[in-house]
Amino acid sequence: MPRWLFLIAALAAACGARPDVLTFSGSVLGAEGAIVRRQIDRFADARPDLTIEIRPTPDSADQRHLLYVQWLNAWAPDPDVLQLDVIWTAEFAAAGWIRSLEEHAVDRGDFFEVPLAANGWNGQLYAIPWFVDVGMLYWRTDLMTEAPATYDALAAVARRAREQGQVANGFVWQGAPYEGLVTVFLEHLAGFGGRVLDEDGRVAVDSPAGVRALTYMRDAIDEGIVPRAVLTWQEEPSRFAFQNGHAAFLRNWPYAAALMNDPADSAVAGRFAVAPMPRGEGGRPAAALGGAQLAINARSRQPDAAWQLIEYLTAPEQMLERAEVAGQFPARRSVYDDARLAAALAVAPADARRIIEHAVARPATPVYTQISGILQVHLHRALTHQEPPAEALARAAAAMRAILAQSGLRRGAP
Amino acid sequence: MTRSTRDARLAWLLMAPALALLVLVAAGPVAAAFRESLHASDLRMPWLGRPFVGGANYVAAAADERFRAALAHTVAFTAASVALELIFGLALALALHGLTRGRALARVVVLLPWALPTVVAALVWRFMFESPGGVVHALPGPDLDWLSHPLRAWVPIVLGDVWKTTPFVALLLLAGLQGIDPALYEAARLDGASAWRRLVHITLPLLRPALLVALVFRALDAFRVFDLVFVLTGGGPGTSTEVVSTYAFRTLMQDLRFGYGSALSVLIFAISFVVALVCVRALGSAAPDARQRSRRLRRVA
Amino acid sequence: MTASSRRTMVTIGLLALWAFPLYWMVVSSLSPESRLFDAPSLLPGAPVLDHYAALFRERRFWIPVRNSLIVAGATTALAIAVGTPCAYALARLRFAGRPWLMLAILGVSIFPQIAILSPLFLALRGAGLIDTYPGLVLPYVTFAMPLAIWLMTGFFRELPREIEDAARLDGAGPLRVAIEITVPLAAPAVATTAILTFLYAWNEFLFALSFTLGPDRQTVPVAIALFRGQYQVPWGEVLAAAVVASIPVTLVVLGFQRRIVSGLTSGAVKG
Repeated sequence: MPRWLFLIAALAAACGARPDVLTFSGSVLGAEGAIVRRQIDRFADARPDLTIEIRPTPDSADQRHLLYVQWLNAWAPDPDVLQLDVIWTAEFAAAGWIRSLEEHAVDRGDFFEVPLAANGWNGQLYAIPWFVDVGMLYWRTDLMTEAPATYDALAAVARRAREQGQVANGFVWQGAPYEGLVTVFLEHLAGFGGRVLDEDGRVAVDSPAGVRALTYMRDAIDEGIVPRAVLTWQEEPSRFAFQNGHAAFLRNWPYAAALMNDPADSAVAGRFAVAPMPRGEGGRPAAALGGAQLAINARSRQPDAAWQLIEYLTAPEQMLERAEVAGQFPARRSVYDDARLAAALAVAPADARRIIEHAVARPATPVYTQISGILQVHLHRALTHQEPPAEALARAAAAMRAILAQSGLRRGAP
Repeated sequence: MTRSTRDARLAWLLMAPALALLVLVAAGPVAAAFRESLHASDLRMPWLGRPFVGGANYVAAAADERFRAALAHTVAFTAASVALELIFGLALALALHGLTRGRALARVVVLLPWALPTVVAALVWRFMFESPGGVVHALPGPDLDWLSHPLRAWVPIVLGDVWKTTPFVALLLLAGLQGIDPALYEAARLDGASAWRRLVHITLPLLRPALLVALVFRALDAFRVFDLVFVLTGGGPGTSTEVVSTYAFRTLMQDLRFGYGSALSVLIFAISFVVALVCVRALGSAAPDARQRSRRLRRVA
Repeated sequence: MTASSRRTMVTIGLLALWAFPLYWMVVSSLSPESRLFDAPSLLPGAPVLDHYAALFRERRFWIPVRNSLIVAGATTALAIAVGTPCAYALARLRFAGRPWLMLAILGVSIFPQIAILSPLFLALRGAGLIDTYPGLVLPYVTFAMPLAIWLMTGFFRELPREIEDAARLDGAGPLRVAIEITVPLAAPAVATTAILTFLYAWNEFLFALSFTLGPDRQTVPVAIALFRGQYQVPWGEVLAAAVVASIPVTLVVLGFQRRIVSGLTSGAVKG
């Protein structure tokens, strides 16, 4: 071959040749960071052809979201694999920022239904559930023999406990005007048979069921079953109220269980259990869905390697290990049959599984953040008596419909 | 070939690269921004496409409460800052003018705030007003919360801007002062005029051109303030310190509403252009040369 | 006290007031973490270098410094290389439409940066230039070029024409006159232009914030502005970074203050 051809070939090779660097981006906070690094290192050891980097993101979910939007909107090819909050999938999928995973073989039967569905958009799967967070009812085992199945029963137990001076507060939850309030409302809403969006993607929050649910929440505060202070509380203050023995019931996420079981800090260690939220008239027990999923950057230069990493991280073994290190609920059903999970989770796996099966997802729509913002404002106004519940929901629904219409999402999907 | 044709040909040749670049990165984008503002474009919703909507974005901007609030904030900020900068600038210029020794040191002290990155100035002033460790808490008086109060948060912003850009005004006025014939002051002093009267009746009138130049350019720059507010308060608490540039930035880069954000940006440009025109008209008689040379000063800040 | 010494006291007071924030920035950057969040005292305690060490060891602050140097340097080089010939033409050569062109170039410098943010972003994104060095240098041309042209045009205009005219009378072509005579004379003006352009590019924030995505390409102002701590702003490191960011500027001001001031004010005097 002529010499100049060698030169060109060498040049071409030099230009194109860089080791395949696969970038993973997600939460590296505390135990999560430790376990994700360990698992990625193991994967990298088995794959000498790949170099894997972890790109750290801010701890706050909101800041991580801002950063993702900035990267993805700029068409950055990195990171290849992203850890998403469950309410981001529809947004990113609709914007064309993450890849559809339809072409890959996914063991759909093994994953819990609701988390899987929450990661779909336009009939395609866009992210794989990694671990699941659900809103749970924490109840004091020393004050009652079993968890109440209905809101009325809960109110009765709470009243009695307060009257007998056993606790200062009946039921505490997160009522500050933020995303958490929406998840609490979601559980009450489903408990009374309502939905935020119906099957066709149309706004349904202003239904009679919705009004009943919101009225119930407001009345609970007015009566004193729920302390008025919750209107400024997020997760931590409500946890402390229960942890210090001041409440009979707490609605919170799974993270609180391990903390409250620590006898060094907690006055209720060993004296509580978890159950699904109660139901009201015409509804069912519901658990707001949170958690994380893994997706592939639409402009990733190595989507196949990215998929292999996701496959690895979401395999049952890895999910179990993650539960052991970080205490997070696996997203696969089969892991709950494994005896090792009991030692790993702060709550009984059977309870966790039962609650997850009652999960209800927040509306999977690209404009969820705006919808949530509207709901937050009106829910809080209703709870603080600035608006009657029916009017609050009517106004919220009107604003939500306007946004959906503006975004060409009348039916929830374009 | 005549000399003038040769000259012209050479001139265009020499200017071509610069002009090409300017068209590419400045003129072109300005036209594109205007075009973008006539379309509805939300980068988060690609399925909506980029339909032409004419002036709809501008109508929306006029009705946008948040934009109107930001505009009000910006105008108020501009007025307050420029007023303070003119006063302090004059004071500083008079002080420097009277210096016989230590000129170099004074110049350095005065130039440094102006030459620093605005980000640095913003962070320093934010630190000084932060609770509880900010140095303002060492001053006598009640312990107030500055940055989390919607009105008081403006104080470090205005002070920071005044601190940073007064040197520009001072230098401008100093040059003007140096051009005043000292004999005028001598005569006035002999006539028994007090320092105050000398200031009001001699200095200020003769400084008028320089003052007006400073006014124009500072007003223009203050209207477009971004770095300082973004880093000091981020527009907060809430949106109480939001200015038009930070609102446009958020609309574009965080909300990804490029059509509407472009309209906001064009509006900002148009308003500042009008301000410039008005001031230039007002300047009218003041020397055009001073205007041109002083642009050098302004651009670097 | 005499009027003049009273005046000097006032002057010193004013200057001290102006210098205070800088003093405070340096002193605080040398204060231990605990003191930064407590009630402050005006006099410093024993200085510590913890924040500077953390800055370079843990936050790898030399990376943004490198980025700023490269971007500001390239911008300055480009603006001067391309702007000087343009300025020469504007100042020295006669051609049709000259006043309009000058007005146009002036017009470009009036644009607020925010006005061209969106089209520049879309163009850079399409060209794959987001988060790259050229992706910053090119937008920086929007202010660096008019600045360079303006400064150099002003300089060339002031240059006495006699030398050039003499050379032209001797038969030298305009290009030769430019290269062999005018440009060498322009060296000091080029230096001033370079300093001011570099400063402006070093200080720039909006474009750098919008067109970079991560620490690999972020410049110093952006890196400092985005410093995040786990629970609160890490003031020690932020202030140390601010001091480091101010060093090039300070050196320039110290070295060139006479030149800067005289250059900036000579024009104003004429007004």
